[in-house]
Amino acid sequence: MADQSGSVYGLTILSPIKQNPSAEVSHSCAIRKVLAGMPRDERSPFAKVSSTHMARLVVMDDVVFVGMPSCEEHLQSQYLIFETNFDGDLDTYLERMVDEIRDEVNAVWQHCWGFPGTDEVSKFKAYMKNCQVTTTFFFADVNDKTVQDTLLALQSQAAVSEFIERNQDKPPAEVQKQFAEFMQKLGNAPPPVPGRPGMGGPARMETKMVWASTMDGRR
Amino acid sequence: MSRLDTTDIQGFVLRGYALPFARYLFLNIDDAQRGRHLIGYVTKHVTTGEHWDAGKPDWTLNIAFTHPGLVHLGLPDTSLLTFPVEFFQGMKARGEILNDTGKNAPNNWDPMWRDGRIDLWLAVNSKTKEMLDGRCADLEELVSKTGGTKIAGTQDAGALRIDGQWSTKEHFGYTDGFGNPDYLGVERDTQPGQGKLMPDGTWAPLATGELLLGYADEAGELPVAPVPHLLANNGTFMVYRKLHENVATFRRYLEEKGQLYKGGKEKLASKFIGRWRDGTPVELSPNAPDTQIVKDKQKNVNFTFGNDLNGTRCPIGAHVRRTNPRDAFGFNGRLVNRRRITRRGLPYGSYVPEDQLVRDEDERGIIFMALNASLFRQFEFVQQQWVEYGNDARTGNDKDILLGNHEERDKYTIQGTADWNNPPFVCGGLPHFVELRGGDYFFLPSMTALRMIAAGTVDPR
Amino acid sequence: MTNINHKTYAMNAITPMKWWKTWIVRLFFLYLGEVTSAQSDLKQLSFIHFARWVIVKRNQFPHITPEQPKESMRYDYLLFFSNFNGTWNEYIDAFSAVLSDGLNIIWRWSEKFPGSVPVTPFKQYIARCQFDTDYYYTAYPYATTNDVKAAHRVKAALNQLEKETAGKSPEEFAQAYLKFLVAVQCDIGETGRAPVGS
Repeated sequence: MADQSGSVYGLTILSPIKQNPSAEVSHSCAIRKVLAGMPRDERSPFAKVSSTHMARLVVMDDVVFVGMPSCEEHLQSQYLIFETNFDGDLDTYLERMVDEIRDEVNAVWQHCWGFPGTDEVSKFKAYMKNCQVTTTFFFADVNDKTVQDTLLALQSQAAVSEFIERNQDKPPAEVQKQFAEFMQKLGNAPPPVPGRPGMGGPARMETKMVWASTMDGRR
Repeated sequence: MSRLDTTDIQGFVLRGYALPFARYLFLNIDDAQRGRHLIGYVTKHVTTGEHWDAGKPDWTLNIAFTHPGLVHLGLPDTSLLTFPVEFFQGMKARGEILNDTGKNAPNNWDPMWRDGRIDLWLAVNSKTKEMLDGRCADLEELVSKTGGTKIAGTQDAGALRIDGQWSTKEHFGYTDGFGNPDYLGVERDTQPGQGKLMPDGTWAPLATGELLLGYADEAGELPVAPVPHLLANNGTFMVYRKLHENVATFRRYLEEKGQLYKGGKEKLASKFIGRWRDGTPVELSPNAPDTQIVKDKQKNVNFTFGNDLNGTRCPIGAHVRRTNPRDAFGFNGRLVNRRRITRRGLPYGSYVPEDQLVRDEDERGIIFMALNASLFRQFEFVQQQWVEYGNDARTGNDKDILLGNHEERDKYTIQGTADWNNPPFVCGGLPHFVELRGGDYFFLPSMTALRMIAAGTVDPR
Repeated sequence: MTNINHKTYAMNAITPMKWWKTWIVRLFFLYLGEVTSAQSDLKQLSFIHFARWVIVKRNQFPHITPEQPKESMRYDYLLFFSNFNGTWNEYIDAFSAVLSDGLNIIWRWSEKFPGSVPVTPFKQYIARCQFDTDYYYTAYPYATTNDVKAAHRVKAALNQLEKETAGKSPEEFAQAYLKFLVAVQCDIGETGRAPVGS
């Protein structure tokens, strides 16, 4: 199925944007304004729909005119493109959008032709599927790990790197003991937060060695 | 391709002079016309790339300009505006891209670089100190006689004298000077491994346009160059960086970690760079230095990483591997061919033997000079993506251990084997071994272009 | 800049195609989808998290309500969306250098495509056909796809180590731990801020 690669689904939605020549602010400008104010880190609405690996919203103003001898042509409407890469199936994802981020969905999609709102899930899903365009080819470098899998792996990676450095010169019994504590701590670590730059995980221990430049070179 | 007109190209571009003494004079140009007179006089003595039939000259002279320098010499706007953007901005303004922040930021540079505006670089290399002083005194006299320019500062550099001999080592003790690329048309003692890797495993020279403007580069295009052609052709761009070396810190770090590393101090030092301190490539000889290999021109640059993708011989983050990955990324090394640079640097400051007291704050380091047709695509790329970052080398954010502008969490991993005598080893708590103290981007014109600049006859189409 | 979220760049591009050429592109993608070895170069370059091509035929622009004006386009359109690591220049340089054949098969049917080699006209074409992202989210902004893959390897090795050494003596643990170190030694680079876009 072209929209799917392994366990990742690639959804592409083109929602035609309303045009109202008499409005003070066009619908597309209004969408852009909402998007400009939307946080992009762990406060992002897509962090809440936490099966989202990567997602983007793009107002496509028109097609591109590449120059003569091609013909110049224009779209009648602008389109809001929603490109998202997530775990699981489409229905569940759309339902989560309604459950968890209905205000943001409304704020953006209310400017689109025929948007039924989020009061009735089935109508919302039907609308989105109407706007869906089939992905012709979808490439996913890692297509068998969920967002949580990946975040936990990144958390472990950071913790392991620090563990290795800290325990490098210790005797085996000591390392084994530290390892047991480490695995416990890692297991109890707060779950990593999607969208956050930087790692959530066990607190980094201070191993900073300060090399003062005024120290001499005597051994 | 047709042979290069070596008499039109500055000698510094085509060869490393291997003369032990050097001094760089940095000038401000205050008056365009008198500045051009100075250029005119100097150009008569500039060393070209012509073949040295009578042996090495006693001294050499070369000249280069920053963009403000060209502005102050009165070049026409169209020429000035067609120089590449990064040259126009200058190295200081590109600091964020190069990660010249924190300790390496301009406010920590030498006053000449931090506060001043450098227009012109005059480089004298010579066989003896007396000749160096003599030639520089002549130049200083010329400057005061012609007027319109002044010397903002100078920088001495030169080969280190170790055990009574001239050495190609730098202050950390590493033997330097290997691996400058071969270019099509540039006559040189070719060694396998200097050029680009071919599908059959042999080495071929790089396209001339990777070094010189006006020639096709590795992408089959002409590098970005100013108009008119005569201003650009046979010229090149140089990055000049004064890299202060914290020798005391380095020695102490190496000593301390060398006691913990199973292979010992010298092997640890070799793993930082990818060469033993005597120059033996670690990829060819990971367990011991080997003078035979160092002396063998067929071998000392001739290696690939394709059979060492896990870094067991040469760590994946080692300096030579970061800056010239060869075939480490696959695709027969094709991703690397447009990222090569020619290095012409020299150490500065006096050498202190390992068993003697040395201080970080003394003036000691390397004057790093690299030549390339495109600063953006070559030097800047290597600096930003391969030295100050490690995604391509698969070291995440971990940087080049010696050059990197380290942050708190940075570390250097030396890959090992499942053998207690050679386990993986992590070097943490990385100090700043090297600190940037100044520099800029320069344009080294051809002899033709120099004469045009001096005569004020640069005429864009 | 909204095209970039820390280490990942969201590129969007649209190119027009004469309608009778579209089936060729579809055929090629079918091949690419079925013959996974054809994707090996793409995976080896290792700087794309997710990428997709979407053919929108000229009568397939979504038409939702009667009030919405109908589109009447002459060309089909090929949309391209990429989530990649590295700078714009590095990305295109790399593709042009080693994947030019694949790029050509996909895009030569697009109007006025100049070929993926030499690289400068190719970059100019992309700049023409690229349109900017208004909002971009990634669940792991500090990680490149290399980092992600390395992290999964580390986690697997870690789980393995825990399983293997449960109830073992310190010496047995030490042996297993050494093997673990070797298994993860190329995968423990730090993750963090991206170099500035250039």
